[in-house]
Amino acid sequence: MGDGEGHRGVALLLGAVALLAAVVGARSTSLANDATDLWQSSVRTEVKRSAGALEDVRYVYQVELPVAVVVMGGRLKADELGTAAAGASGDVAATLAMETEIEKGVVTAIEGSAPLVTDPAYALPGGGVDLGQRLADERAENPDLATLDPDALAAEGDHLAGKGSSMTIALLPLGFAALFGAMAQPFWRRRRLLLGLATGAMGTGLAIALMVEALG
Amino acid sequence: MIEPEVASRWRSQAAYDRIAAVLIGVIAILAAVFAVQQAHEGLAGTRAQVEGARLAADAAARIGASSTSFAAGLRAQQDALVVGITGTSRQIEALTAGHEPALAVGAAHVAASQRLAGAVAETLATTGGEPLDGYTAGLVNATNEEIVVIVEEQNRQVDLSIAAGEHQLVAVLGLSLVALAGVLAGIAAVLGRGKAGWLLLAIAWIVALVAAVPAVNWLV
Repeated sequence: MGDGEGHRGVALLLGAVALLAAVVGARSTSLANDATDLWQSSVRTEVKRSAGALEDVRYVYQVELPVAVVVMGGRLKADELGTAAAGASGDVAATLAMETEIEKGVVTAIEGSAPLVTDPAYALPGGGVDLGQRLADERAENPDLATLDPDALAAEGDHLAGKGSSMTIALLPLGFAALFGAMAQPFWRRRRLLLGLATGAMGTGLAIALMVEALG
Repeated sequence: MIEPEVASRWRSQAAYDRIAAVLIGVIAILAAVFAVQQAHEGLAGTRAQVEGARLAADAAARIGASSTSFAAGLRAQQDALVVGITGTSRQIEALTAGHEPALAVGAAHVAASQRLAGAVAETLATTGGEPLDGYTAGLVNATNEEIVVIVEEQNRQVDLSIAAGEHQLVAVLGLSLVALAGVLAGIAAVLGRGKAGWLLLAIAWIVALVAAVPAVNWLV
């Protein structure tokens, strides 16, 4: 190898290493950026999902259930009073009948605003109501919120982050390629060997980058 | 025939060039190591931070949902008791006054209270049950023990994020030292094989070796 040719070889190799390192760095940064975006989206989605669920829980348990309990109590009182009135006579029967009507009136007045106790879909054999079913129906009214999946976004981010991290491994052999390439200039007696090592290291870096890109 | 003085100068120049070339190569390797470290630790730190934020949101949601359902259940049970207490009060008042119809009304209320307590228990037993989705069921059925585990994991993720941030700072410091060594090596190359050139080359090597310590630590 002539001296001028050797200089050119070193310069070309170092230029190629620098270019490849820049490409690898840019690609891994791009992947890391995409991963971070997905992770941040998973946080936003988690907050959105929990806010939606909390609002539905609050509505069923704090708005609907208290009214439902009042209606259930009114119905049971009316039932017990009516039963007692049927077995009584005189003033006692009249009072019990009157109280029965009062309770029925109260129930009629408020049960319109208590779908939990008027919809037979939620009725249970012991007089209670099915809160699991009711909350599920409430959640189903906003399917966009109920089907949010922050775990999937995080997993996708993890995948891209792993790919970006693996991509940077290619920089290590490229560093060695730069070392051998730089040494090839002053160590001219071993130039051929050093350029060979540098080319091998660069090839290794390139292979790692391509494999990660293709398989990652 | 080359004069001995000229030969000595050439040898000295060759040694200078070799030391500078190896330094440049070492700087390239160190820069690569720090770039890899920075990328890895940066991603690990962000991931831990994100996981910590998600777990914090999850813990807050579980606390909110489970306490809401628990408090509502407690209130429903109290409402059932109030019906019974009202009935008993009417019975006591009726006994004192000798008012038989009020006594019968009170007894009916007490009986209704017992049935209402049963209905409320039946109702509360369905909390978080089928066909509710797993996520919402997990929120309303969350126990203190589960929430404590989530909070502990959240704290661990925050610690991981802090540790990764510290490692990242070390990487940035290493890159800064490597850049300094690179600049010194460049100036030394411009100055050439004089006193100043050798001095700068030596300082550049020292800076590069100082930077190599955290790089090797991280790799090991």
